[in-house]
Amino acid sequence: MKKASKKIILLGHFGVGKSSLIRQFVENTFTTDYKVTIGVHILKKEVKISPEETVSLIIWDLEGYDDIRKTRASYLLGTHGFIYVFDVTRPATFENLKDDITYLTNQYANTPLKIVGNKADLVTKTYLKENKDMFAVAPDFFTSAKTGDKVDDMFIALAKELVK
Amino acid sequence: MLETYRGTYFHPRTQFITIDASGNVLESDDILFPVTKGEDISTISAFFEGLSAYFEAEEDNDIKFTCVHLEDQNKREYTCDIEFKTFADATKPTLIIIHDFSDHYKYYQEVAQSRNESVINSQILELKNKYLKEKEDFKNTFIANFSHELRNPLTGVTAFCSVLQKTDMTLEQQDYVEVIKSSADHLKNMIGDILEVSKIEVGKLALNEELFNFHELIEMLEFTYSVKAKQKNLEFEVDFDKKIPKYIEADKTRIKQILENLIENALKFTSSGKVTFSMQANQKRARKVNVNITIKDTGIGIPADKLDVIFHSFTQLNNSKKFKGTGLGLSIVKGLVELMDGKIVVESDEGKGTTFKINMNLKYPINQEQTSLDKKSEIEKKNFLSKEKYSVLLAEDSELAQMAVLKILAQEGNFFLDIITNGEDVIESVIHNEYDLILMDIRMPGTHGDELTKMIRSLPVDNCKTIPILALTANLYDTDKKRYKKMGMTDIIEKPFDESTLLKKVYKYLK
Ligand SMILES: Nc1nc2c(ncn2[C@@H]2O[C@H](COP(=O)(O)OP(=O)(O)O)[C@@H](O)[C@H]2O)c(=O)[nH]1
Ligand SMILES: [Mg+2]
Repeated sequence: MKKASKKIILLGHFGVGKSSLIRQFVENTFTTDYKVTIGVHILKKEVKISPEETVSLIIWDLEGYDDIRKTRASYLLGTHGFIYVFDVTRPATFENLKDDITYLTNQYANTPLKIVGNKADLVTKTYLKENKDMFAVAPDFFTSAKTGDKVDDMFIALAKELVK
Repeated sequence: MLETYRGTYFHPRTQFITIDASGNVLESDDILFPVTKGEDISTISAFFEGLSAYFEAEEDNDIKFTCVHLEDQNKREYTCDIEFKTFADATKPTLIIIHDFSDHYKYYQEVAQSRNESVINSQILELKNKYLKEKEDFKNTFIANFSHELRNPLTGVTAFCSVLQKTDMTLEQQDYVEVIKSSADHLKNMIGDILEVSKIEVGKLALNEELFNFHELIEMLEFTYSVKAKQKNLEFEVDFDKKIPKYIEADKTRIKQILENLIENALKFTSSGKVTFSMQANQKRARKVNVNITIKDTGIGIPADKLDVIFHSFTQLNNSKKFKGTGLGLSIVKGLVELMDGKIVVESDEGKGTTFKINMNLKYPINQEQTSLDKKSEIEKKNFLSKEKYSVLLAEDSELAQMAVLKILAQEGNFFLDIITNGEDVIESVIHNEYDLILMDIRMPGTHGDELTKMIRSLPVDNCKTIPILALTANLYDTDKKRYKKMGMTDIIEKPFDESTLLKKVYKYLK
């Protein structure tokens, strides 16, 4: 049995649901209470990506910034993957989507990255389909930390890419 | 003693740990997180996993992580800064220093919490506001279009009232017509107000700046309202600062509208005492004079809790029948003042009176003396006509409008009138007849009036370049007006028009 340990980081504005996504993924729980993350929380979860392969995800839940360039550089050391989260109901959280993604892909060219529109439970699928032009970069997943929809799929998809 | 005190009161919040190259603990003072020697440092927290990847083996490293959340064995949370020191000298082990700053970060967390919450709330509000604004815009556009449709049938009513009044009628019948006419006028004013409010709110109202004699306007207001005030046994005082330039460049109609509206309002809501209208000049700068305009009354006043709603659309505080109007006046006034980059505020003492204050800039030409504005009044011009009879083409498909124009012009006895109801036939007729003036409906079957005008202007017939073409239309958006002028129309007659408006414009353009 192969077992690799990979550090992934969640980025995005505050309040978009980064901590909630991790909590849903790691503990299968959700709360509507909002507790602002400051600094960084680190959680770990083993993910079985095939019968004979497990990845140990070290998940860094960072404080949200409105500008990702403000993210403390030391936090980003040795990162294997990024998850960029925005809130589909708050335009301010995806206004700079394109710039941020360009910045990340330039700075960390070979690091896998997933773009996630969270809080999908607050809007209808039709709404997302009809308004997909709102998002300057097409998201890889629309998730809901509340219902759990696509949350595991999203983390596992990234985990698989990390061991490729 | 100091040592004893230290032993009792000093709680060190910093832990030192050394590890070997594979991350196993060599030594630890266990101040915060007790660890067993030989154990992997990552048993303290997943934070320490994969650390080796961070360091360059060939150099000394000093890396600091701030605000890291760690838990001890009892699940107690600490917020720490963590420092790593590695050494190029392989005999020296890596040093980890953990500082517990929980108290400090707890405060920081609270600050961040309230800041983030309020930002998120304001963004939600923004979203709501945007949604409301879209709804409001829709409503205003709807109202604008709709009230505009109402104008067309009203043309028939007002025009025929004028015509009817000239026929043989008993006194009783004349009274009835008078009632119909005044009701129609009232309706026309209300529609006008509504249209204006909605145009202001969707930003479709443009100002038409012109040079005019401002002092004359004020004198005219003083005269008109002194008479009105006297009728109500009120005093009307005008205090006008003569330092305000005589000639100014502004939208005269709109400025007049603002002042009339406020003065009339003041007179309406005052039953004894006086209304004061004062205007003072402040600084002059770059061909602009800053003025304070005050309209003060001793009337019923406005309750304090209503002060901020009086400028909103569709509010009239006093819903009693005593004060008639749409309640849109003040909202229009505010819209217009703001369109002119001015500011309006209201102060009021219930039962004692109300004061409206406007501050705005007025543009004026440097050379006040050489400004000549002696245009002859249009109606006077009637006496200077050079021909006995003029031939006029009326291109209009609505029978009602045809009849109205026909009757009005026929009474004058100065006109031959040709009526054409179809766009296609207009050109033909213009080529074969030498008209002195064309009245052109815009919305006609076949080609629209504005298109026809453009064609007429390009005809290789001399007269066609200069002949006055007056649009008859209820399309009063400024964009439309501009387009009509661009297409070559000389002027526009608004529907609904009454006798004197039509005649004034027709005589104005006849040679
Ligand atoms: N309806 C809904 N609310 C969510 C979702 N994810 C997070 N939230 C709420 O959004 C707020 C912020 O979430 P949090 O995870 O703290 O955001 P973070 O600042 O990005 O870590 C909290 O009140 C959550 O309950 C979601 O998928 N759906
Ligand atoms: Mg968080």
